[in-house]
Amino acid sequence: MIDLLLASAITLSVPLVLAALGGAIHRRSGTVNIGLEAHMILGALIGAVVSGATGNWAAGALAGLVAGALSGLLMNLVITRLKGNEIIVGLGYNIVMFGVIGYVLRAVFGVSGTLQVDGLQRMPKLVIPGVADVPILGALISGKDPLFWLCVVLVPVLAWLLRSTTWGVRLRATGASEPASASLGLRTLAIRDGAGIVAGALAALGGVALSLGTVGLFNENMTAGRGYVALAAFYFGRSKPLPTALACLLFGFFDALQIRLQTVGGFNADIISTLPYIAVVVVLAFTGIRQHYRGARALS
Amino acid sequence: MTGTATQGAPVAPEPTEASTPVGRRAATALGRVARHAGVPVVLALAIGALVLAVTGNDPLEVYGRLLSEAFGTPSRINATLAATTPILFTAVAAAFAYRAGAFTVGVEGSFVLGGLTASVIGSQMADVPPVLSVLLPLLGATIAGGLVAVIPGILRAWWGVDEVVTTLMFNFIVTGLAGWSVQSFFLAKGQANSSTEYVTENAELPALAPPGQTSIGLVIGLVILIAYAVWMRYSTLGFEFRAVGSAPRFSAAQGLRVKTVLATALIGAGVIGGIGGGSHALGLVHRYSEGFSANFGFTGIAIALLARFNPIGILVGAILFGALNSAGATVQLFIDLPVQIIDVLQGTVMIFAVAVFTLPKLRRLRAARAEWKRP
Repeated sequence: MIDLLLASAITLSVPLVLAALGGAIHRRSGTVNIGLEAHMILGALIGAVVSGATGNWAAGALAGLVAGALSGLLMNLVITRLKGNEIIVGLGYNIVMFGVIGYVLRAVFGVSGTLQVDGLQRMPKLVIPGVADVPILGALISGKDPLFWLCVVLVPVLAWLLRSTTWGVRLRATGASEPASASLGLRTLAIRDGAGIVAGALAALGGVALSLGTVGLFNENMTAGRGYVALAAFYFGRSKPLPTALACLLFGFFDALQIRLQTVGGFNADIISTLPYIAVVVVLAFTGIRQHYRGARALS
Repeated sequence: MTGTATQGAPVAPEPTEASTPVGRRAATALGRVARHAGVPVVLALAIGALVLAVTGNDPLEVYGRLLSEAFGTPSRINATLAATTPILFTAVAAAFAYRAGAFTVGVEGSFVLGGLTASVIGSQMADVPPVLSVLLPLLGATIAGGLVAVIPGILRAWWGVDEVVTTLMFNFIVTGLAGWSVQSFFLAKGQANSSTEYVTENAELPALAPPGQTSIGLVIGLVILIAYAVWMRYSTLGFEFRAVGSAPRFSAAQGLRVKTVLATALIGAGVIGGIGGGSHALGLVHRYSEGFSANFGFTGIAIALLARFNPIGILVGAILFGALNSAGATVQLFIDLPVQIIDVLQGTVMIFAVAVFTLPKLRRLRAARAEWKRP
């Protein structure tokens, strides 16, 4: 029972971790990415279609990644070059992307909502011999898809990139104060575009994890607000890779618990689905109030 | 870094002239709205045309059909006005908060909870005298809509907690709570999808021109729009709204009631959104069901931004978007066209409503650079 719950919590948090890490990078560069949901659904669709066309999951994942990167760049260009407000552009971008995908599904593929791709290859489950039978540990790390391992690698790598590389320092400087960074000669707009590309690519991989992971088909509602949960996660994790990923694990656990309780009955799924958002409001309120009083003391 | 950095409204409102006559002021304002709104709308139509052309439709034919479906006959105009009603409320709500620089995206949540509350109260109105049977559900919707915005409003006004994220999160919290309470308490029996009971007949907002669907809700919306215009212009708090919206720190230094303004802005937007949800429930759909709000809160934001918070612009924008919604719903009966094309158009308008088009300036910038490089 607990093994099953943990295993499904991990599986459910992989898309969240990927999208949230992308969002966190983007946030560190100074942009709140509301469009994660759009990048995810695009990645899920392209991943499924290309995996079906080539019969190779890796090609699907790669295509999803590229599509997400382009999508991230496109959205970010409106924010950086046309000075569009990031929140409005993100909300509008989600509406457009879901509109385009819904339209294309019906006009081109002739299906309403769900796309069964012929010859789609799902991601392999990497069973680790020996570990698979160990209780708990087996559920935690055995039988996971490659994107799970990508997450495991990405968290420390991104943390290191942000902390110790020129790219990371410049990115954080841009996020901390764009005018100051620009006055030091950094190409802040290009840096922010780069972060937007990373955010789009990672979020799209999260979408790929959905469509090529457990189910192996595409549905226009398959992200089901996960982009916004990812947003909640990087706010919760203060845009640092490890805390963000842990927040995703927590939210993934909520999700698994909710599915579990649904089959058992007795508790409502809708209530559990609000927990990530309540958590974010509480965290924002807490840090905001604390900063407010610190600031007040510093001034006086 | 945790988002306590507060943002202003996404676009600056137009300056208000002091002493020009109302007629001319309205005319110049309308001209400005047309200029600001023109580029996003044209761009959206162009992108929509691209999508249509790529998928083998004739854009001109589709747009022509949309136009005739929106305004072709009196009954179609009636349908367009019915679709205008909910987004008129949400647009006024968004504009109300944005004038004070309070950047709420939570009108959607207020709209949903207002609609649910009005539906639940409205279904219990069988033995209540006529006028009261409408007012009670609407009052409930008003309070519910305001309640959604209370926590973000207080957090923003007193402690400077970024209202964008909190209001966005409250949309999802409200959706979850609404789904849970419908499932647990208010589920109508014998319905396939989860929805509440229909409101009683005496709680329905009467139609303006039956059999058309446009109800008294449109009149309520127009009254609120006019009240918004008058209040912004002539009341003291309205003046403070505009001052805080354009220069918050200066306003604080001048002793304006910044906290009151911000709390009123956010909660007021919730209240207006709540009435909108209530009117939508009582006037059009007569119950609350899943998917009660078709992104009305976000469409309202797009309209408010396109109109630069100008009341006449809001009305025109609401009718424009209402036309898209009503035409989109029926146009697929005539041509084989997925209704999602309407989302593409609306979302594109929303994106470009906040974009700043500085292509002419680019040329000047190049000229200036060339000037510097000259020895």
